[in-house]
Amino acid sequence: MFKKIALLAITLGLGLMSGCAIISPKASSAPTHPQALEQGRPTCSECHGTERVASTQKTFASFDHTQAFVSNHKFQANQDPGTCAACHAESFCADCHGGKTALLPSAKLGNRPDRESPHRGDYLTLHRIDGKIDPTSCFKCHGRSNNEKCSACHK
Amino acid sequence: MMQRRRLALFATLVAGTAMAQGVSVSTTTIAQNWKNQTPGFSSTTYTPATEFVGIDATGLDAKGALSLHIYGWGMVDLSDQSYVGGKHTGDFSSGFLQYDFGQANAQLKAGRFTVTQGVGNEQVDGISFRTDLVHDLTVSGFAGVPVVFHNYGSDDQGVLSTQRNFMYGGRLAWRPAPFGEIGVDYLQDGTSPGTQAAPTASSAVYTRRLTGVDLKLAPCAFVDFTGRTVFDVAPKTAPTPTSTVDWVAEHDYTATVKLHEKLSVSGTFVERHFFAYYAGSTLTNLFNQNEQGAFKATGAKATWLPIAGLQVVGDVRRTNRDAFGSTTRAGGDLRWTFAEAHVLAGAGYHQVNAFSVLALDPSTPAYGLSHSEERVWAMAERGALSASLDAIRFHYTDGDANPNLHGKSTETAVVGSLGYKAKSGLKVSGDLTLEDTPAFGRQTLALARVEYRFDLGRKGDK
Repeated sequence: MFKKIALLAITLGLGLMSGCAIISPKASSAPTHPQALEQGRPTCSECHGTERVASTQKTFASFDHTQAFVSNHKFQANQDPGTCAACHAESFCADCHGGKTALLPSAKLGNRPDRESPHRGDYLTLHRIDGKIDPTSCFKCHGRSNNEKCSACHK
Repeated sequence: MMQRRRLALFATLVAGTAMAQGVSVSTTTIAQNWKNQTPGFSSTTYTPATEFVGIDATGLDAKGALSLHIYGWGMVDLSDQSYVGGKHTGDFSSGFLQYDFGQANAQLKAGRFTVTQGVGNEQVDGISFRTDLVHDLTVSGFAGVPVVFHNYGSDDQGVLSTQRNFMYGGRLAWRPAPFGEIGVDYLQDGTSPGTQAAPTASSAVYTRRLTGVDLKLAPCAFVDFTGRTVFDVAPKTAPTPTSTVDWVAEHDYTATVKLHEKLSVSGTFVERHFFAYYAGSTLTNLFNQNEQGAFKATGAKATWLPIAGLQVVGDVRRTNRDAFGSTTRAGGDLRWTFAEAHVLAGAGYHQVNAFSVLALDPSTPAYGLSHSEERVWAMAERGALSASLDAIRFHYTDGDANPNLHGKSTETAVVGSLGYKAKSGLKVSGDLTLEDTPAFGRQTLALARVEYRFDLGRKGDK
């Protein structure tokens, strides 16, 4: 029994030591953006030029919040949510992506038309068209959660 | 029992904020009111009141590395029931402790949080970690119990086999400067050894297994290639020895080239195979794995910045759903940010041509899905006052044939909002929405919003 525990302790110790050896020695980046940003979508490269973000080695330009970036923000969130967290709290994402949402994002953010809230207007009519054209776009948010309302009709 | 556990967890987390060096609390109270007077149905009045609460406490330890984050909401209907499932509901969306190490961007999380990692976009009660490694590598992982959303009636919970008991995942990525990042990841949801039996998959007990490869190539400031391929690697059996099942769930790639300081163009390619993409669906009749074929889309977008603050976007997207047909969506958007005057404004127009898309049910008459979308919006701030206006209009081309339009080919919604910042951290606003829609006719919706935020900074008083 003692031998087993000793063996386990040695294995864990070696694992920990080798683990520490492969961890990057670099200091962590600032967890939040040091300055408050102006209103509207930021163009990071305006201030940072062709520099690279230290934590990800990607250019600041690749984080410019253009229309293309906003449409594809899932890639950034899935690769490096830490960079998103420098400016956005998790509740910002939950406005649209909560597993269970209280009300339509466009209603909650009715005073923020600059946010790209989905389902503006009476989406009941349009969803019958969007659903036929591309149901995979519905699946992202309603496929495995946040679909109580869907199941009321789609039994 | 579950409710008590959640309450106990919530109380423990809130009590933890007493040790914090800084606490930020934000609440938003929203009260809505509208009436439905749809012909053929009894008149209903809805007055839901919803409260959102977020708490962020930082510096829970001497180093200032430990923080606590809580977010959730509750809703009660003050008149007729507006929400499916009851007159009161709520959600404990997130509540977790986070430890940020000073080295290697390492981070630990414990509690309820959302995982956005590779193929994973999951809400779990569990733990997660991430750290940078030597040789430009980075690794992250998580494990826990998936948060289950009761989208079926409570009587059906016992037989809902798509609810899993344990979930874990990990991602390893390489970030060779200056090229970008390439990552591989894996997610497993459940522990059942069951197999997906095509063509009847999601209702069976099985374990969701996804793996993916994601990449971002941005060798210089004017080129960016981003995307991912996702595979459903859960064991599958084909219905006949000669038939095949999909393993690829999704290809999704976007290439962007900055042609000029003020002009960039991007192209996208998307392909999703239904059987693999819908794996793990909890709404199988809507997201039907047994639909043959795939969804494909190709698109292009040009973004032009003619003057500071003005963004002009033109886009076109061609889609095809094998069993239904093809569509083309084209249009443009303007977005103007006049920061000095605290004014933001935008406008957009898109035309969707979907003449060849078939009706879902062959027994009902087919109708075209073509339509156009027009939108104009603006928001401004002056001193303590703020105002916004958002108008959207849809015009359906096949208004006569589409039975869901009830002979009405145009739909309009206008939202006006006025706000007043009573003092720092307290803002009240009211929205008025005027709608004229095929489903509900003319209706007026009112919304009152109170946003309150206060910070308790106690830096230095250890």
